[in-house]
Amino acid sequence: MGEKRRSTSKTLGKNKRRKGPHLPNSILKTIANEKRPLNSDEEDDEIDSDDAIVDLYEYEEGVPEEESRKNNRYDPVVNYNYELPEDFEDENVESDDDDEGGNSDNEEGEGDDVVRHTRMLQAVTGMPSAAFDGESKRKPVLFTEAYPESEFNPTRDVLEGKGLLTIDELMAPIEGKPGFNELEKRISRMQKDAQAVVHAPLPKPERERLERKAVKGLVDKEFNKWVHMVKRNREAPTVYFNQNVSLGYSTVGAIASEFQPRTDFEKKMASVLNDNELGEAHDEDGAKLLELNEVSVEDQIKYRDHIAKMRSLLFRHELKSKRIKKIKSKTYHRLKGKDLKKSAMGALMDPEMAKEEAMKQEARRVEERMTLKHKNTGKWAKRMISRGLNVKYDGTRAAISEQLQINATLSRKMNSTNDGSSSDESDDEEELNDGSDQDTPSKLIAKAREKTLKTVEDDEVPNSGLLSLPFMARAMKKKNEEAIEGGKRALEEYEEWENSGGEENPKKTAVVSGRRVFGATAKVEAPKESRKDSDNFYDNSDSDNDTEGIENNDLGAVRDTASPARNTGAITETEKFDDDVENPASKTTFDVALFASGSWKKMKGCQNAETKKKLKKHVPYSKGQDKKESRDDESEDSESEAEEMVDGILTSASKETYEIPSQAELIQRAFAGDDVVDEFEKEKQEVLNQEVPEPEKPVLVPGWGQWTNIQKKRGLPSWMVREHEDAKKKRTLDLKTRKDARLRHVIISEKVDKKVEKLHTTTLPFPYTSKEVFEHSMRMPIGPEFNPATIVGSLNRPEVVKRAGVIIKPLKFEEANPNEKVDDEHPRSNQKQNPKKGGKTGKGQSKGKSKQKTKA
Amino acid sequence: MKIKTLSRSVDEYTRERSQDLQRVFHNFDPSLRPMEKAVEYKRALTAAKLEKIFARPFVGAMDGHRDGVSCMAKNPNYLKGIFSASMDGDIRLWDISSRRTVCQFPGHQGAVRGLTVSTDGNVLVSCGTDCTVRLWKVPRPTLEDSSVSSENFIEPAAEYVWKNAFWAVDHQFEGELFATAGAQLEIWNHNRASPVQSFQWGTDSVISVRFNPGEPDILATSASDRSITIYDLRMSSAARRIIMMTKTNSIAWNPMEPMNLTAANEDGSCYSFDGRKMDEAKCVHKDHVSAVMDIDFSPTGREFVTGSYDRSVRIFPYNGGHSREIYHTKRMQRVFCVKYSCDATYVLSGSDDTNLRLWKAKASEQLGVILPREQKKHEYNEAVKNRYKHLPEVKRIVRHRHLPKPIYKALGIIRTVNDSKRRKEDRRRAHSAPGTIVTKPLRQRRIIKEVE
Repeated sequence: MGEKRRSTSKTLGKNKRRKGPHLPNSILKTIANEKRPLNSDEEDDEIDSDDAIVDLYEYEEGVPEEESRKNNRYDPVVNYNYELPEDFEDENVESDDDDEGGNSDNEEGEGDDVVRHTRMLQAVTGMPSAAFDGESKRKPVLFTEAYPESEFNPTRDVLEGKGLLTIDELMAPIEGKPGFNELEKRISRMQKDAQAVVHAPLPKPERERLERKAVKGLVDKEFNKWVHMVKRNREAPTVYFNQNVSLGYSTVGAIASEFQPRTDFEKKMASVLNDNELGEAHDEDGAKLLELNEVSVEDQIKYRDHIAKMRSLLFRHELKSKRIKKIKSKTYHRLKGKDLKKSAMGALMDPEMAKEEAMKQEARRVEERMTLKHKNTGKWAKRMISRGLNVKYDGTRAAISEQLQINATLSRKMNSTNDGSSSDESDDEEELNDGSDQDTPSKLIAKAREKTLKTVEDDEVPNSGLLSLPFMARAMKKKNEEAIEGGKRALEEYEEWENSGGEENPKKTAVVSGRRVFGATAKVEAPKESRKDSDNFYDNSDSDNDTEGIENNDLGAVRDTASPARNTGAITETEKFDDDVENPASKTTFDVALFASGSWKKMKGCQNAETKKKLKKHVPYSKGQDKKESRDDESEDSESEAEEMVDGILTSASKETYEIPSQAELIQRAFAGDDVVDEFEKEKQEVLNQEVPEPEKPVLVPGWGQWTNIQKKRGLPSWMVREHEDAKKKRTLDLKTRKDARLRHVIISEKVDKKVEKLHTTTLPFPYTSKEVFEHSMRMPIGPEFNPATIVGSLNRPEVVKRAGVIIKPLKFEEANPNEKVDDEHPRSNQKQNPKKGGKTGKGQSKGKSKQKTKA
Repeated sequence: MKIKTLSRSVDEYTRERSQDLQRVFHNFDPSLRPMEKAVEYKRALTAAKLEKIFARPFVGAMDGHRDGVSCMAKNPNYLKGIFSASMDGDIRLWDISSRRTVCQFPGHQGAVRGLTVSTDGNVLVSCGTDCTVRLWKVPRPTLEDSSVSSENFIEPAAEYVWKNAFWAVDHQFEGELFATAGAQLEIWNHNRASPVQSFQWGTDSVISVRFNPGEPDILATSASDRSITIYDLRMSSAARRIIMMTKTNSIAWNPMEPMNLTAANEDGSCYSFDGRKMDEAKCVHKDHVSAVMDIDFSPTGREFVTGSYDRSVRIFPYNGGHSREIYHTKRMQRVFCVKYSCDATYVLSGSDDTNLRLWKAKASEQLGVILPREQKKHEYNEAVKNRYKHLPEVKRIVRHRHLPKPIYKALGIIRTVNDSKRRKEDRRRAHSAPGTIVTKPLRQRRIIKEVE
């Protein structure tokens, strides 16, 4: 019993040291040394020995006064009457624990009782005597109670239910009686046997916690056994479910064979279908079928009645339509017509109505063409266009384009209805084509001559308006004369060319033809001509140029014929160039390119060289094909300049004494024309400008921020300037950070192609850890066109293959197959790349009864 | 001596039947096909677009209840049957293919909170706020059921009255025990009028219970003290418990991975746990903007479906942080229960608007019989889309979903709140001594502790 108590206190002490109720030290001692008698004064020599007993409640309060030695009211008692007699010997106990007998000599110096006490403790607890050494060395301390102990005043131990009795106490009275020894033996055996000891139950929460700890371990173990299966499933490229479940019938025939007729109709059908007699008849010949195919009288009657009914219905319908046709009411017909009209079908059906509609459409078209109501001729439209508002505002632009759209739809030719108008137009076109297509030189010359003659002959002077003023008239007359002279000369030329039949001729004729055009009447005519033939002729459409006289005709030729607006300024230009003629220095520079590609032909024209020189200056103003002629002209005059040009460079200097140039000079001269470095720099600059565009200069929208003078003076708003500055800075920074910033002879484009952009990811996608792996995963195509049919299936297989309509059961446990090698080197992310590997692993498993397995 | 010759058999080039495909011989040299990658990218884009075009997930609604649908149970043995119960005590068995009520199970006086079917599909167990557990015999499915519209009523096979109202019930997989959740967790046998076992840990009531389909003796519960607990019936003791910041409304075990479970939390996220290590979630599935009310795993274990108080149903991959799909209709109200069909093809949701809704698990999947070539084409489209899913354009199209306005707005708000929190935390960290402020990872943030 004592043993049991001790162990309880021990475990308690372990779990909750230095806590719990403040038990008096005496109790603690008693608990520690159960063998010692209760209420003995012997205890008091160990009152201060708290530290020796580590696994017990610790008494933290100060020693109570009555326990301290100050008020020693009682003498210490050495011997108690109930202590075991000296002569008593407990053989069993002694003999069992003899192994620690060696310690006994330590206690020689102490009193006999101490030695005995220690021995007893040893016997009871089974601990080495050293454990009790400390106790014995303590000074005896008196323990006193407030009141003398009696049955009315029991000790605290008793009051708290811990009035402990030891076995020995209980045994004392029966000592020596029969059976005592046997009992003694049994008790000692029990004390030795630690297994038989029953522990006191732990507190419930404690106990439950321990229980849970154990369960936790078991549950984890339970879960752990699944790991291999889960791992296999997760790593498999494809998980299959229910692949070997038979779904029963799948063909239509199989399903139909199960069919059982339920309704009356079905039963009837079945009876006919399953009729043996019929089947036989069918198999043998048709004769018997006829026999079987009897028609009942009722059916016949039914059929006849049906026909009669249908006929009568038809007749009634006929009557009704006749009656409707006879109706003369205008309102009725009008309403009917309206209905018909409303429906698009009516319009389609009725040819008359269609015709009417077409007529109306035609009238609308004519009106549109006459008034040009929708061709932006209106006041509003004109205003919008003149102010450029249509460019600025989307709405306006849309409105204007809508108008044009309406115009287009209205004036669109109706193919089906009207043929006349189309013929007109085609005629026009033909005329146009005449001009452009049949431009054989001889014909053109003839034509030109005809026209020239015509103009030369009828030179009527307008007798009203500005031109009727005397000085104008004079000037006109002069011009006329000149023109006529020119015309005559031209006629001569025509004849000359006609005779020679040269290739270049048409050009010249054209030039001449343009020359005689002037005045109000000619203005109308000439542009028309020139526009038609602009592809082939360099004609001179403006009268303005002609005022300059004959020398200028070539000048006019190089000018853009199509833009009359330019010609107003042209006069002054030509005059200026006239001045330039005197100045020979002006002709020194040429664009080399002109010579590089141009044909080098001589002209036998009558124009003098001087006028042609002027043309050089006009080159920049001319456009397109005009260049060609000017080149021709230039070629001529460059020849006349006595070969001053070497290798595409014109030098104005006269010839000097020849010196043998140095090597460097030679090289320089050899590559003088192609300034590669410069060109490259220019090119690079261009590229840079394109890739890192220069910021736009800040400009105010006219009218904005210029309300007052003050605002005007202030200039641009500071934020605009700042923004511009920032943009500039950014540009310079960008240019500096470019890869080719330091490399003078290299252009490294850093342009981002938007179309390519969408084929790249901005960041590495999640499961991938390296760029290479990701790119590798995308490298090979998976389509059936790019792969043999044998592997396409496995390349495209989805992660989960299941069959619709089949219940998937939860995972069933199966032991890990030691022969199976789980390939964990392929994470799920790139499982598609190596489907074969997974296949090997799963196949072994698939043989089993498992419903769910892994293979590729 | 070995002589190499050309040998071509006629059989290789001739078709056996006129329906057979002509064999086409390809040269697979990649140098002959420089554009293959571009071609496949284009196909991926087209596949993504087609997926969007064909995405029509809603199959039909099942209408009949007179109050909000509180819980559902699928028949593990019969694909077409689904049981549903409503807040007014009405229990119905539906035929999914015809979307009609097959029969009704009248008897409950209050709301039915839990519904479950035994694995063999013969016994239906229901419990509710009227403190009763009722066992019903499930009628055998016959051919006539789908055609006959007459509604028949079924009497309960057993009725057990108990001390407290019930919140949930779940049946053991292939056993004859079932567990009810109420004031405490109780384990019942079909044939006993009182529970055979009872568990209590703490005083708060248990609100959901789910048996592990792989390990029939292990079950998980969640309680209103925000805890998730795993119990083992053999040891008749709890094993683990964690306390989270918010309550868990429902739990689902992964049927293919018996150690893993996912908890539908009140904070709008789902947390996947490993049953062996609960102090941190394996994955946090975020997307719902309101409490997740119910969760159910696909039988394939690769996906799970959640129903939320934000009137939407979402489908998540088991290891993905965000949902793959969101389903919603204008008329669908708060979703109280969701189920994944046993063949992983359909999803069912029951909501406050008294309707059950049937959805396709894959919104653009073609149902019905698919010919092999068609199947191959679908597979190729899927594979090619999957391959190029990281490219911006494909990603954009695949991810794009129309959201109901309230959800869209709520998402915006949540984002803003999270951003500001993060900003604050960043600033705090920047202005304090290094190492003093430790941010918990998201997977641990909502878990308060694991209780011993």
